[in-house]
Amino acid sequence: MRRTGALLLALSKDWLRNKEAVFFALLFPIILLVIFSTVFAGGSAEFTVYVQNNDIENGEPTALSEALVESLNETDALTVRELDADRNVSTWAREDDSRGSKRVLVIPDGFAHNVQASAGQARIDVTQSTVSQFQDRLNDSDRARIERGLDRAGGNNSTVAGAEVTLLTASDDEAAPAVRGVVDSVVSGFNDEAVGIEEPPSRVTTGNLSQTSLGSVDYYLPAFIAAVVMINGLITMTTVVAGFNSDGTLKRLVATPLRKRDWILANVIQQTLLALVVTGVMVLVAHLLFGVTAVPGPLSLSLIVLGALTFAGLGMVLGSFVEDADVATSLGNAIAFPMMFLAGVFWEIELMPDYLQTVAELLPLYHFHRGLRQLMILETTEGTMIPFAFLGASAVLSVGLAVAVTGWRDFGD
Amino acid sequence: MSTRETVVEAENLRKEYGPVVAVDDASFEIKGEEIFALLGPNGAGKTTAVEILECLRTPTSGTARVLGHDVTTEARAIKKRIGVVPQSFHTFDRLTVRENVALSRRMYSDGLGVEAVLEQLDLLEYADTAFESLSGGYQRRTGIAMALVSDPEVLFLDEPTTGLDPAARRTTWGQIERLTDLGTTVVLTTHYMEEVDALADRAALMVEGAIEAVDTVSALVEEYGGEVKLRVEADGEDAPVESVLRESATEVYHSEGDLVALFDDRGLAQDTFGRVDGLAGDHSIELTTAGMEEVFLRLAGGSVDERGEMA
Repeated sequence: MRRTGALLLALSKDWLRNKEAVFFALLFPIILLVIFSTVFAGGSAEFTVYVQNNDIENGEPTALSEALVESLNETDALTVRELDADRNVSTWAREDDSRGSKRVLVIPDGFAHNVQASAGQARIDVTQSTVSQFQDRLNDSDRARIERGLDRAGGNNSTVAGAEVTLLTASDDEAAPAVRGVVDSVVSGFNDEAVGIEEPPSRVTTGNLSQTSLGSVDYYLPAFIAAVVMINGLITMTTVVAGFNSDGTLKRLVATPLRKRDWILANVIQQTLLALVVTGVMVLVAHLLFGVTAVPGPLSLSLIVLGALTFAGLGMVLGSFVEDADVATSLGNAIAFPMMFLAGVFWEIELMPDYLQTVAELLPLYHFHRGLRQLMILETTEGTMIPFAFLGASAVLSVGLAVAVTGWRDFGD
Repeated sequence: MSTRETVVEAENLRKEYGPVVAVDDASFEIKGEEIFALLGPNGAGKTTAVEILECLRTPTSGTARVLGHDVTTEARAIKKRIGVVPQSFHTFDRLTVRENVALSRRMYSDGLGVEAVLEQLDLLEYADTAFESLSGGYQRRTGIAMALVSDPEVLFLDEPTTGLDPAARRTTWGQIERLTDLGTTVVLTTHYMEEVDALADRAALMVEGAIEAVDTVSALVEEYGGEVKLRVEADGEDAPVESVLRESATEVYHSEGDLVALFDDRGLAQDTFGRVDGLAGDHSIELTTAGMEEVFLRLAGGSVDERGEMA
């Protein structure tokens, strides 16, 4: 243990004095955590929609079309701007005079007329349906009187067309589905009012599954801890080991009584300590800046240790195959970044195709992140059995592989 | 370890890398407290041979014992008693000289004090300097300090002065010479003939993996160095000088106005130099003795340039 301790101290001092390594392992993730948590804090997204109202009567927009525009304006999610009725929408769309994507809602000429006609028809249809539903409670004379009234009101006129507004968006507008949803919701409310429904039969309310209200930082904190531990193992460890291999530092150590197990142990312990320090610093920053109160408990820390062992072991395996530190860095990047995105660390894997979701579930980072999120943020051990089992097996396998492939003789043969 | 005791024995060592034979049937012995040099051009197999002795490589065939232990089966016992400065020596860049030497010391149960070793190698001034900030000469010296701090019985130095300027090279030679006073056996590889002349007690000449000759440096020069030349500036009244030369030289002749005498025996040539010196007055006398360069030229059929390539 004396040799392991001495080497661990040397590795740690060498790392701490490497400003680049400290920045990328510690400060850079904190900067990203702050940016992500701030940008995706939610609640304040507001999309700009232009409205071209072509439904003009006597030089003024009709009352119904104005009412629709007003309803759109009343939502917090939309900022409504006017587009002159005589502007060519295609030409206007090509003009690059605004930030973000252009969206325009076109209200056609005759909108008010069609709304009134189809609303009237809808009321008649509803009345007819109501009469049919309750006909056993009406006597023949009442039923005949109602039917005559409905006929006079045009109850059999099936040629009335509903009014159509058109939302035009750019094909690369990522916010288009959200804007469409908001506009749909506003139009639906407008329709309810048009047919005289003041209290809709059903409505949607939202709430939290968890007992505590979670913000974006709660989602990103375990994500960044898992990602940084993975990057430190797969990129930093790979680069360090390959560098020591290529510049002769390892050969010099091998020529001493140092054992292979001391070398591997010192490196994985250093990575594990670094992972715990990274966790502590990130939790502290999240607490100070965003009020996050998550404190990693023994189970969270155990999972972090398993994650650090897994990725440090893999880093040692990769580093032992590459003799050039730059190539090692590239190799680490080539594995770490696809894994980071595939594992659904920064977004839900439900957004990915089924086959990629299957791939994600085979990645240690996926289970690392899921387990950490359950334990640290949702404060439950539910669903952590698989992460512990997966990472435990991965840690044993990767450290075992590191022992197997690390050469202690015949360098470069 | 007594001076004459054998500390390294290599017998029929062979190392193959696929079709390439790096070390070809090499046999030699190294005695205690001597400076032993493996001399040869780049690619001769010197580094491979010493790395087998350092337990860093496995021989394809043959045997080697260091301090009585087999290099393939008793590596740890050997590593506890040897010091190694590899050819491409490097250590933790951002650790200071003192921290690197202390790290090396912690790898061994016994050894010398870190400060004592730094002082011995004139490194105290740079003790708190990061390794990456040192010049090549001081980096190499740090390597020697890291190897010496375990108080090794055998110290392996692979190309210890390659890339150093002449002044740093001479300083390093002085430090290596002092090591034998402390009872350390030094095994060095080099392609510098003058390094072997200046430092080595015994040398092995390696060419293309094979050892061409092993002996004391003086014996090698004696056997393979060829004739010793004594050149005296002539002025037409040199009959007494010529007479003395003819008494002991194998051949005497005039060349470009000078009198040249050839000797087989270096000692006889030096005696004659003393006698002629009194007769020659102001005339210049030059004794050209053979060295390892001539030995290498004779055995390898070529010389080695500054970079270690065969010329």
